[in-house]
Amino acid sequence: MATRGVRQLAVEGGSKHEGFLRYAGYRWLKIALLLSFTAILIYAFHDARPRPNGGSWYGYLLGTIGAGLILWLTMLGVRKRTMTPGRWSLKAWTSAHVYLGLSLIIVATLHTGFQFGWNVHTLAYVLMMLVILSGIYGIGVYSALPRVLSNNRGETTQMQMLDNLRQLDRQLHEAAQPLDQRHAEIVRMSLDDDPFGGGLIARLTGRYPKCGTRAAQAAIRAETGDRPAIGQDALERIDVLLERKEAALARVRQHLRLKALLEIWLYVHVPLTFALIAALFAHIFSVFFYW
Amino acid sequence: MSFIVRQISRTADGREIIRPRTFTQKEIVIGREADCDIHLPDLAVDLRHGAIREVAPGRIEVAAISGLPIDINGRSTPGETIDVTRGANIRIGSHLLTVSAGEGEDQGNTVISVERVGALSEASEIRDEQRAFSLAGVAPGRRRMAWILGLLVLALFLAWPIWSFATNQYAEAGERRPVAFHADEMWSSGKLSLAHANLENNCQACHVKPGEAVRDESCAACHSTLHDHADPQRLAAAMPAKGAGAKFQLATAGMFGIPEGRCVDCHTEHEGAKAMPVTEQRFCSDCHNGMDKRLTDTAVLNASDFEKDHPQFRPAVMTSAGSRPIVQRLSLDARPLEDHGLKFPHDMHLSTTNGVARMAQTMKVEYGFGDSLVCADCHVPDASGARFAKVTMEQNCQMCHSLAFDRVGDTVRTLRHGDPKQVVADLRAFYRSTGPVQPINLGGQARRRPGDAMLVRTSAAFNIAAANRPGRADQAIRAVFSQGGACFDCHTVTQPSAPGAVDWGVVPVRLPERYMQKGWFDHKSHETEACESCHVAKSSGTSADVLLPKIESCRTCHGGERTAKSVPSSCAMCHDYHMDGLAPLMVRNMRDKGQRASRYGAQTESRVTGRN
Repeated sequence: MATRGVRQLAVEGGSKHEGFLRYAGYRWLKIALLLSFTAILIYAFHDARPRPNGGSWYGYLLGTIGAGLILWLTMLGVRKRTMTPGRWSLKAWTSAHVYLGLSLIIVATLHTGFQFGWNVHTLAYVLMMLVILSGIYGIGVYSALPRVLSNNRGETTQMQMLDNLRQLDRQLHEAAQPLDQRHAEIVRMSLDDDPFGGGLIARLTGRYPKCGTRAAQAAIRAETGDRPAIGQDALERIDVLLERKEAALARVRQHLRLKALLEIWLYVHVPLTFALIAALFAHIFSVFFYW
Repeated sequence: MSFIVRQISRTADGREIIRPRTFTQKEIVIGREADCDIHLPDLAVDLRHGAIREVAPGRIEVAAISGLPIDINGRSTPGETIDVTRGANIRIGSHLLTVSAGEGEDQGNTVISVERVGALSEASEIRDEQRAFSLAGVAPGRRRMAWILGLLVLALFLAWPIWSFATNQYAEAGERRPVAFHADEMWSSGKLSLAHANLENNCQACHVKPGEAVRDESCAACHSTLHDHADPQRLAAAMPAKGAGAKFQLATAGMFGIPEGRCVDCHTEHEGAKAMPVTEQRFCSDCHNGMDKRLTDTAVLNASDFEKDHPQFRPAVMTSAGSRPIVQRLSLDARPLEDHGLKFPHDMHLSTTNGVARMAQTMKVEYGFGDSLVCADCHVPDASGARFAKVTMEQNCQMCHSLAFDRVGDTVRTLRHGDPKQVVADLRAFYRSTGPVQPINLGGQARRRPGDAMLVRTSAAFNIAAANRPGRADQAIRAVFSQGGACFDCHTVTQPSAPGAVDWGVVPVRLPERYMQKGWFDHKSHETEACESCHVAKSSGTSADVLLPKIESCRTCHGGERTAKSVPSSCAMCHDYHMDGLAPLMVRNMRDKGQRASRYGAQTESRVTGRN
């Protein structure tokens, strides 16, 4: 990615990948810490009367810094769509995005002067905190989940997993041809079941209570349970195939769940960012409207 | 007529393969079973699903065999007759059977094209991998959510309040907006103080013009009687030179059209539903600290902190009583002597051993005295509790200092207090209307015989006394107004205009009601203290002593705004910026119902709980 990053890797002599968190020797972490401590220090010595609030000179300063940071942090969405190498590489941006975004907790909280209420001002603060929290979650899953995802997948790709399912479906279809309509309908429960269906909750929990394959297998077993397995019964073959399909489905579903956990924070982070910018605008507008 | 069945399948690259078969019989069977005429390897199709038979030339009938309905031209039906020339689409399971009339060499025959149109299973559908494996398919779109949430916030928290502002017809009319929820309240950064609680839903009472910071006129609309602290020019002169930071702040504020020295600079609002915060010390001290350097002709001494930088108290002391009394502000350090016209040695009256104490003991029942007099026997708090009711002769002195001079039957006659002329007249009348006591040997009817010399002498003496009796009044009057007399004991007496005249006078007593005209002291706030802890009355032998405590005495408890002392005291505790006859804001705040306990802690526990 960044030529700078490559050079550093060579100097360190290691093959270790330098992620955005440890970019340039934690440069942005240091900058963010410096910003935070400076803000806290001035806050401690700033004598705002009757009590600290966003309307003192320091309050306005922190508010301006905070609003500027929020807008700049949002620009990552624009920046990541245009790739450039060098000092302002996307990795540098992401690193700065993460650490400066975290320092916003300090800057914005000090800006409030710890005064909260049921108003547009606290709304903007709460939205900002939710965005930051979802971001922290995102960093957490990015650092933990890819390994789990890869372990679950084994050596297969997504398309291979899907092809495996399709293969099983064809075999099921084939095996069910001689069956009468009642049994054919049972097999169809499994065939017509969408492995990608189930909705957001199912994706996040990995639980699919209405799984057609499981229902089909249960129905088949209810039929064959009291019969001796002679190896000739078409239903026996269907049973075996359904079992294999369920195992394949379990792996796909675990994969889907991990991917959902990896992605879900963005569905909070991004929309809430725009809600935050709207609330931030309303906050600033109202302050100057009713000055 | 025969049926021509064309089985259509597709290669991997989408090319069609058509396998035609001709059936000459009248009826063909459709089903999943391998020996069916039209074999559909489809689990949704029954083993023997339906049949197609010719009912008339150019007309065929499609009928279900197994009981499962068949979809013909989008309608689910157990059977239907079809005009071959018009054609039909028959859907069975995932297969589509298209019926049409044969053309060319197939003229007169019925052509049935069979093609699989549905996927074998859900998983077999062709999918976009990226989309299928991501949340995009199951979660609401990020872009859409962003728009919805953003617009929702703007509508609720920006447009709605603006609308509420724009449709407020009461502001135009200068009326108060009725109490109800108005959307612009959502912009309020905090509750208003209790004093302004009724403006909570009426933003425009103060925020009159959009974009314009609150102006003093909004405050003055209600607070119409407040006056300025001083002449604005002198105020400006008293202000210290501004530092770079203050200049920058002022310039920035000026850029946004915020004038300097607004009411709200000191009286901050939206700080919560409690008493309005008292003005901070710095708002006073920034001018009063070293003010004499800038305002060289000022009589006001420098002050910046009660504990560290505050002049000695300078009470208004009457240094000369009389018809033209002189009142001066004198520092307590100069040990000023007061002359308010009354002679009253506090030490004598508060003694526990002398005649005063003894007299008080004799009047215990009638007047509620103790074994000796105490402060409260004379000094009674006034209605406000801040100060004391005026001590008066009638209320506080007369029970001991009697002005009685005569007794008629049961009625005691007293001299008129406060009116020397009346005293003179009453005494004269007394001596005029009564004769000297007649000696008993002067019998009224006794005949006087010559030679009764002693009797004659007595008679002559009586006659002289009787004749001279009115003249004795002058003597009595003189006695009353002179040392040892009833008036002289307590009052400053003015001598008669000429020797022998009796136009005595008494300098009117003017006891000060309030020594500290520029400050405020609240006795009620100090009722936990004993009087003697501040006022050294017990050892004061003359009423010329000003018995006010010095500032050092106050400082044992009171410090500056920020202090280690038990009572932090900013300027506003005793002084008002907009000075009037009322108590300063802080005193009023503290005296608000329920406020004192919260500030000074609850009353002693035993009193509250009634513990034995």
